[in-house]
Parts: sequence; C-alpha cells; structure tokens
Amino acid sequence: MKRRTLLATGPLAAALVAGTAACSGQIRTNQGGGAATSGDGTTIPQLTFPAEVAENVAGITNFNPFSPNVTSKNYFYEPIMIRSSMNCEVVPWIATAFAWKDDTTLVFTIRDGVTWSDGKPLTPEDVAFTLNLRKQYPAADDIGLWNDVFGAPAESVEADGQDVVISFSGLAAAKFDSLITAKVLPQHVWKDAGDPTQYIDEKPVGSGPFDLGSYNGRRLQLTRREDYWQADKVKVQELILEGNYDATNAALKLTAGDLDAFWGEIPNPEQAFASKDEKLNHFWYAPAGSTVLTYNLTKAPFDDAKLREAISQGLDKDEISAKATYSVMKPASQTGLKLPYAENLLPDSYTDQETVLPFDTAKAEELLDAAGYAKGSDGFRTLPDGSAFAPTFLVQAGWIDYQAAADVVVRNLQTMGINASVQTSPPEAVDQAKKDADFDMCLEYLHGGCEVARNLGSKLASDQVPTKDTVKANVGRWEDAHTDEIVAELSGETDPEKQKALTGELVEIMMTQYPVTCLFYAPARMIYRTDKAEGWPSEEDPYGTNSEMLMIITRLVPPSAS
Amino acid sequence: MKYFLRRIGYFLLTLWAAITLNFLIPRLQPGDPAELMIRQISGRDTEIDPARIEAMRVMLGQPDGNLFEQYLAYLGQLARGDFGYSYTYFPATVTDVIGRALLWTLVLVGVTLVLSFVLGTVLGAFAAWWRNSPFDSIVTLGSTFVGTLQSFWVALLLLFVFGYVLGWFPTAGGYEASMPGLNLEFLLDAVRHSVLPAAVLMLLGPVGWVLGMRNTMILNLGEDYIRLARAKGVPDKQIALRYAARNALLPSVTGLAMALGGILGGQILIETTFDYPGLGRLMQQAASGKDYPLLQALLLFTIVGTLVANLVADMLYGVLDPRARKAA
Repeated sequence: MKRRTLLATGPLAAALVAGTAACSGQIRTNQGGGAATSGDGTTIPQLTFPAEVAENVAGITNFNPFSPNVTSKNYFYEPIMIRSSMNCEVVPWIATAFAWKDDTTLVFTIRDGVTWSDGKPLTPEDVAFTLNLRKQYPAADDIGLWNDVFGAPAESVEADGQDVVISFSGLAAAKFDSLITAKVLPQHVWKDAGDPTQYIDEKPVGSGPFDLGSYNGRRLQLTRREDYWQADKVKVQELILEGNYDATNAALKLTAGDLDAFWGEIPNPEQAFASKDEKLNHFWYAPAGSTVLTYNLTKAPFDDAKLREAISQGLDKDEISAKATYSVMKPASQTGLKLPYAENLLPDSYTDQETVLPFDTAKAEELLDAAGYAKGSDGFRTLPDGSAFAPTFLVQAGWIDYQAAADVVVRNLQTMGINASVQTSPPEAVDQAKKDADFDMCLEYLHGGCEVARNLGSKLASDQVPTKDTVKANVGRWEDAHTDEIVAELSGETDPEKQKALTGELVEIMMTQYPVTCLFYAPARMIYRTDKAEGWPSEEDPYGTNSEMLMIITRLVPPSAS
Repeated sequence: MKYFLRRIGYFLLTLWAAITLNFLIPRLQPGDPAELMIRQISGRDTEIDPARIEAMRVMLGQPDGNLFEQYLAYLGQLARGDFGYSYTYFPATVTDVIGRALLWTLVLVGVTLVLSFVLGTVLGAFAAWWRNSPFDSIVTLGSTFVGTLQSFWVALLLLFVFGYVLGWFPTAGGYEASMPGLNLEFLLDAVRHSVLPAAVLMLLGPVGWVLGMRNTMILNLGEDYIRLARAKGVPDKQIALRYAARNALLPSVTGLAMALGGILGGQILIETTFDYPGLGRLMQQAASGKDYPLLQALLLFTIVGTLVANLVADMLYGVLDPRARKAA
C-alpha cells in the first residue's frame, strides 16, 4: 500500500511543476483593449495614473497639502508659480509675474479671473492668507518663509491691489524656489480651520483643473472642471489615480494598458517595457541631479586634493552608469550642474570645455605617484608617511543601483593600486554614519535644481554640515571660508548675470579641488504610453519632469490621427 | 478557585511586562521619524529641504520629559484609550486608522481560521479512526508536505497563476471600484478580492489541526477505557464521537483559542503579498515607516490579544478537563 501511494504522488508532483513552467511565459495582456476613443478626437476621455498617496492602507481621505499622506497633492491646490526643473524657466501660474523691487522686497502679480471650485474668485488676499498662515503656525512653514533657512526671514506679507508684497528682513533670494511651491488656499474655507496641519480636508475647494469625482479609499476619480482658469488647455476629461506599484507590477500594468504613466523605478526600462511595443511604449529618464562620490574630508588622506583628483581621473564613469542604470543615465559633469540642460547657468569660460572627466588610469596612477602614494611591497599604495591605506566604501544595502556603482568604483580603485573595499549597511545605519562622520567614502545625491545656492552651494557650505540629529547636504564636510562667502553672496543675489559669475566660482572649485566626484546623473523618471495621450515631456521636448505633473496635464493632447 | 486566581495573576503580570517592553523597544532604535517621513514623501534622489523636516518635527511634536516621565504619560494615555496620532496618516488618530483595517483582518483571518479548524479536526478524526488506510496515508502525507511550504511562496504562486496568467482573480487590494459600505456591489468586490488570500490560508491552515487531532486521537484510542467500551458492546459511532474525539479535541480547542488571539496581528506576509488592507499590512507599513504610535498600538493589540486568548484557553481547560482543576 505504501508503494502505491508513493507511485501516485510522484507523477502528480511532476505534472504540477511542468504545468507552472509552461504557464510562465504567457502573461495575459490586453494591448489596445482598454483604449476608449472619443468621437471627435479633441479630448482624452480617461487616463490612469498611480496613486499620489504612498500606501493608503487605511483608505483615509485627506486633501490637506500639509498632511504627510495627502490623497492628491498635484491636482486640487495650485502653486504660486512653477519652476520647470529642466530648463529652469519660471512658468506663470497663480501669479502672472514676479519682481524684486529691491534686494529685500518680492512682489507677485496675481492672475485675474481664477475661480475656486465653489465659484468664488481667487484674490490676492487668498495668497497673502496662505503665506501668513505659516507665520501663525510654524508647523505649516514647509517653505521656510518665516525662519532663517536659506536666507533672512520674512517680515510681512500683504495684498496690495492685484499684487502680493513680501518684505524680508534681509537677503532672501535663495528662498524663491521653495516659496513659489506654496499651494494657494481659499481664505473663506481655511480661516476657520484652526491649525492647518491638524485639519482634515475631505471636500477640497481648490483652484485646480479637477473636481473630486469619487474616492473609495483606493481609487480616486477626478473629473475635469469647466470653470478652471485654463480649461481650454486641459483635454483630459477624467483622471483615475489608483494603486501603488513596485517595478514588476508597474511594468505588467503598463504593458497591459491598465496604467498610462509611471514614475517609480523600473530597472532596464528598455527591455521591461519599451521593447514590447516600439510605437506606443516610451520612457524618458531626465537628469534630476547627480549621484556623487563623497569623501570624508575630515579624515586623512581625503583632505588631500591631489588624491581626490587622482581618484576622479581613474573612475570609469561609463562602466558605472552601465552597471547602475543600464546605461540609461549618462556620466555626470564634474561641474555639479546637469548639462546640457542647465547650460545657461554655466559661465562662458566653461561652455566649450568637456566637463565630464575622462577615464584615464595611467594619468591617475601618475598623479598618485607624484602625490607621494607609492606602491608598497604588496602592490597596494600606502600613505605618504608609509602607513597602510585601506579605505572602505559605505553603501546602502538594498539600493541595487548604488551597490552596483560601489562595486565598479572599488574595482577601479584597486586597479589604481588602492586597497579599497565595499561596506554594505542598512540605509538608517548609513544615515547615522553620515551624521557622525563615521565613513571614508559614500554615495550622495547632488540636486541639480535651479537655485544653485541651495543645491551645489549647500553641498559646499559649512553651515550645511550634518549635525548629530539631522543629515544635511554637506556630508563630506567641505569647510572653506572663501566658498562660504561665495554661497552667501549667491543666496542673496537676484541679478542673473551676477549669479552666473558666482556660479562660475563654485564650478571652478568643483573642477580644480574635487570636493566630491560626480559620477552619473540621477533620474526623474517618466514611463508612459502614447495610445491615449501625447505631449509628454521627452528628450526632444524637455519641458518638465514628474515634479511638474500639473503643468504636464495642461500639455497633454489626444494622439494625432497618424 | 485557586486555579483561576493564579491564572489571572500571571496574566496581569505578563501584561504589565509586555506594555513596558512595548514602550521601551521602539524608542531604543535610531532614526528620526520626521526625517524618515520627508525622505519617504520626497523619494530617494531628491533635494532634502531642511525647512520641511523642521516643519514636520514641529507638527509631530517632540516628546518632553525624560524617559520615565514619558513612560508615566504613556501609561496614563493607555488607561484613557488614547493611542495618539499616527505619523504616516497625520492628523488621523491611531484608533481611527486601526479601526478601518480591523474588520478586513477579522473577517478574512477569523473565518478562514474557524473553517481551517473544523476541516482540520474532522480530517484528523477520520484519519485516526481509519488509521493506516489509503485515506489516512494521503491525509498525513499531504499535510506533512503542505506543512513544509512557506506561506508567502504559496501566496506568490497562487497570485502568479490565478492572478496574472489566468486572470481569474484580481491581483491586489481588498476592493477596487466600488464604494465601501453595506451594498451588494462592494460585498461582491470584497469577496472577489478575498478569494486568493483565503485560498492560501485555507491551504496552509488545517495542517496543524489535522496532525494534532489525528495523533491525540490515536493515543486515546489505545487507552484502556476505549477497550472496555468496545468490550461492553458500545456502538463504534458512539466510541468515536462521545469518547475518543471529544477527549482528543481538548488540546485542539485550547490551540484554537490561542490562534484566535493571534488574529489581531494579521497575517503580515500574506496581506502584504496581496496588498490586502488589513492589520498585517498596516503593521508592515508602520514598521518600515517608523510610525511609532501606530506600530506600538498594533503590537500592543497583538500582545494583549494573545495574552487574553491564553487566559481564556487556560480557563477553558479548567472547565472542560476536571483533571486540570484537581492538579492546581
């Protein structure tokens, strides 16, 4: 009897395994099955995006822009102006224009004819109210208007006719990029709300292009507003926001047509998505900033600029970006700016030069020899005083692109004769190491934003060195009085020509002293289909990224008949 | 009487220890919730704005007083039933957040647990009665094999085959397009989404009960009193039900009580795989986001649930089995 049952289970198990193996290739897709076309071709009937709220397990509704878990952050309340993260152009939005009347007074001219979704008009008083709310409740001051982050605090905000006038107590030009992101709130609704951070906003009254259709805790349905101030530019009739996807699920949903766009991580997007349909499936990974190799400048020998120069020359950036990003992202410019998009920020002395460092092991070894890092008997280089040199590269476990980059860097270092090794740690431990300055080398992100003082500047400013409690931008601890002077001046400078000159000085420091080594550009992703809508930002038309979804919605049009 | 009093005493002591540890352990971890939250909202490769982190810190409120004062404040809040605000769902309260996920887990895990128990004990009883028959072999071998499978592996397998390849069931969530409430559309939607998670639980659930019931019953069937009953001519069915099965059921019933207590923790792996909006999923989200208030409340519920269930099981045993009362 025992033998019989054994004989029976054997073939059963084999059949099960074979069956699953056979099924593995055939994922159900419905290409084009979901494309609901409209009759006249002038509207986009429906688009489906991933949910804006990260993981709303509890299904809570809250459109309050101050909440950490906002159900929709882009489509109800609108910012004062929009700065395109690609070409740094300031696009008029709720404010049609801005001007610095003098060094400490900023004036916004507010657009006429904007209405709230309850029909009332949007006035400059609403804008002044929104900004003054942050004075009354510091927890709401996410833009740093009333404190001294990146500039002097504001003294007063007042509506004056069709303008809003902000007076600062000192130089505050670097606050501009944050300031314009403030979402304008309707005074007649929010004045009775008390502390805005504690307010649960379930029926939002906003100036944005959509009305709340329905929300069942998972699926947000938005319908187009007829009385939106630029309704003629909004062709999307209905927007569905649903689901949080990881890379595999997102690729499957995009391929099946259940999702129209995605901006999370999909490694190797060419193979996972675009190759499935060359005509409809597209992706554009715009450079948002650079991933940089940061040295702990408080630890010898990393305070030696010659060592840093040598290492920078000996890193194979093409290989690094191939392994980390499947060559989707390009090697980064050593200036710290994202080129060629930010070319207008680059001073003339550098515009013709190639600012991406070439890969030259021979030159690197030459520089190392000249700087006194001779090779010892074991083939590895020692410090100038003869002691051993075995630096560790600290990298976050689970961040596979960082880990891939770290492997290549360490290999390059070993080729140059430096006995380097990778040290993997959980992300929280790496953050703690950055706060305690307990690392040799690590990877960091250098934002390629338009306010150079806040991005490149804060990477090099001594007041941005991480403290015991907070990780700030200057993880490498570059502390130089001259740099601080430049950054301070740049923070207060409002004249573009003078800004360019000051940026040039920072670029000079980057190119000659290598406080950090720029490796490859970090992406702002846009993975999308063009069967229901066209007009997405792309390499040919780089007008924005996934940080400006509101602007993108006004540029989407139905696909052309061809 | 002493038996019950002693049990209640142990219960209260363990409860106090659990509450204290529950307070201490999250606070020993490094990591700043405000910073973590801004990182999570902004994403990995974005500008860290110190103004936003500072604003978030003010919003969440820094606890004041030293550790002991915070502990006393914590005990006071517990007594009032105030679990504070959740960090990730700010400004919703923890009770509100848990309340929304509670029913999903209770229904899914509760129903499947009871059904698994019934199925498992029935199968185990029959397998013991007809021991060494083909039925017994299949049940025992089958249970042992299924018992070695990992729950998340089975979940992924079912998800892949029935969700992606065949497309018979939805691949994520507790519901989709319907509005939650007591309407037929929503209930059908919820049932459709619960089929796969329930299938995984029903597949893996009965295993423990089957083997436990079978083994206890075989042990009982070898006892002298069964032999006496047979000699006296008691019909087979009565021996099986009134004596052997009923006595073998005792350990299983207490096991069921303890398993029911564990429901409040949800089935984390299965709920995460299916993105099912229950307590397990909530716990996973709270743990990765360092949402201390929510995490503490969930852990507390799990601990209290298990302790209460343990107490009930102990009491039940005292009621059902006179020998336990005598021994105490």
